[in-house]
Amino acid sequence: MTGRVIEAAGRDVALFEAGDGAPLVYLHGFADLHGVAADPFPFHQALARDRHLYAPAHPGCAESAEYGDLSTVEDAVYHYLEVLDALEIDRFDLVGHCMGGWIAAELAVRHPRRVASLTLIGASGLFVTGAPIGDVFMMAQPERGIDYAGLRRMLFQGGDTKLARALFPDGRADLDDEMRRYQMLRFASFIGFKPPYFYNRSLVNRLHRVTCPALVIWGAEDRMVPRAHGEAYADGLKGSNGLEIIAGAGHAAHLEEPEKVAGLIGDFLS
Amino acid sequence: MIPAQLFCWHFMAYPHLPADFDEKYDSGWVTVPNELWDSEKSKGLYQEYIDQLALADRLGFDGVVLNEHHQNVYGLAPSPNLIAAALTQVTSHGKIVVLGNLLPLHMNPLRVAEEYAMLDMMSGGRIIAGFAPGGGPETFNYDIPSAPSREKFWEALDLIVRAWTEDGPFIHEGRHYPLRYVNPWPQPLQKPHPPIWVPGSRSPGTLIECAKRGYCYFLSSRSHGAATGQAREQFTKVLEDHGRKYHPLRMGILLSAYVGTDDQTAREECQEGVWYFLKNLLKGHLRTEGRQLTFGPGVPYIPTKAWRQYLETSKPGRKLLGDAENWEELDRSNSILVGGPDTVFERLKNLVDNSQVGNLLIQFHLGNMPNDLTCASMERFATQVAPRLRAYSAKLFAQRFPHMEDELARAEAAQ
Repeated sequence: MTGRVIEAAGRDVALFEAGDGAPLVYLHGFADLHGVAADPFPFHQALARDRHLYAPAHPGCAESAEYGDLSTVEDAVYHYLEVLDALEIDRFDLVGHCMGGWIAAELAVRHPRRVASLTLIGASGLFVTGAPIGDVFMMAQPERGIDYAGLRRMLFQGGDTKLARALFPDGRADLDDEMRRYQMLRFASFIGFKPPYFYNRSLVNRLHRVTCPALVIWGAEDRMVPRAHGEAYADGLKGSNGLEIIAGAGHAAHLEEPEKVAGLIGDFLS
Repeated sequence: MIPAQLFCWHFMAYPHLPADFDEKYDSGWVTVPNELWDSEKSKGLYQEYIDQLALADRLGFDGVVLNEHHQNVYGLAPSPNLIAAALTQVTSHGKIVVLGNLLPLHMNPLRVAEEYAMLDMMSGGRIIAGFAPGGGPETFNYDIPSAPSREKFWEALDLIVRAWTEDGPFIHEGRHYPLRYVNPWPQPLQKPHPPIWVPGSRSPGTLIECAKRGYCYFLSSRSHGAATGQAREQFTKVLEDHGRKYHPLRMGILLSAYVGTDDQTAREECQEGVWYFLKNLLKGHLRTEGRQLTFGPGVPYIPTKAWRQYLETSKPGRKLLGDAENWEELDRSNSILVGGPDTVFERLKNLVDNSQVGNLLIQFHLGNMPNDLTCASMERFATQVAPRLRAYSAKLFAQRFPHMEDELARAEAAQ
């Protein structure tokens, strides 16, 4: 797995790549590569098993440049069109988690013919009455100035597991990890805060435009994006065979149960 | 000679919280359940607070100060302009400082330009127009995205100043507030426009933007250790970079005071109000207990590079003002000056010496402090502290900032 910085429309974009084969683009979330960690997780390695994995960092995240004109999810979609052009990728498998899943869905409804398959894991992006997306910004404010239990509980089924604590420790984390977290929150604040709050009310009525095979995976205990959102995606995407629930996992199902989630995706892609 | 300007700041706290509030509730901000609001008990509360500010005006304070907060127990003035409007009718001498209208919370900055112009006319030109971008709690209360809030703030403020100084109608081609017809009626009485104050917490961006435009920089910290003097040094340097010279009325600071007949009775009289303020009203704001919403990674308005600098120079979980456990700790923070007139004068004298800041914005009503104590403290301050402080500071400023008098006279002549 190698990292490099490419240029797309004059902007620096940090990119991880691995594997050989048809292109697979992965768009990250909070508890994720680029969102909190510099290194890929076993889940990302697994995605590259028989694909060429491209995992760019969102604008402002990791070593990707922040740019001032970014203010809606539409801007993020056009940013990724530039990235795809820079990488000379025409058709690709698309996988996204959390906000990355939202951007993936927005990309797919606009360019359905370019997306060979769409996989969403705990994706935000939809408005579902009575099932608000959790307030990750408030949880990112620690209790007693040091305690991130609320954030861990929002992102992981086992809020205090070794993995959750390693990625979101109490007190001051490694400075670079802290920065990645902050940059991801800033990106989220630019495009996902208002209006709307990590959703686009129009998206649900556009989902039918996505005709490729679709896989929707949700942690059974997702406390950031309620399961009802997974059901709405699975209902709206024509190519989906229903929602796949990962028992014993929360919002970051791909990190908590990497084998199960990667296994589902592997079967789906083959 | 020009003395320090002494202002009376009223935060308009909610004084009827239950005695076990701190035990039972996580925060005094955003999520504090409004079932705790008691309309019956609160009848007459605004009148009491307005009367206290009218008293400040009669006592000869240079001005009164209001600010804007939402959905909290710390400050009950979500619309400070309403209180300012009332004050235009019951005050006649001092300035009315609104510090400030939170611009990103307003749909249209023109509304703020109009309201300040109305207030300036209604007050006979006594308005000081404060503007702030809003902090963490406002982010949550009004769903204001943090990351672009500074950019929106400066666009809105620049538009307001243009609306006050350029003939309309004109087109504003801004990114956040595009407007085809900018042409507000009325216009302010003060020319070219009311003085403008902008709060900041030493972030370089705000210092630079204020220096460029010549606005008064209000340091929003409530505690005054070495950092207050450092902020003034920073601002002095930034002003020089922009061809201006620092003098004490280019900056303001916030502090609280209680003046009793002597040190012992002062503590006894104000302690209930002081600890109510620290433990209940600062919870969620300047206290680590619970979840502090004012500043942090969840309100990412600070540019990435500046955030790294902050992380490099700060300790997680460091004590905040509201974490003080006793009078000694509280005294060290130099935030709430409590004592007889001599003590309060000495401490203010030191603060002016060390900070060389000339606009002193002083909060007298703390927490659930009763009206009689608040008024008595203000009266003692006005008669026994203020005269000495004015004499002392005027001399000090004249010595250290000989250019100050000429510069202010020129500014006055330009009006």
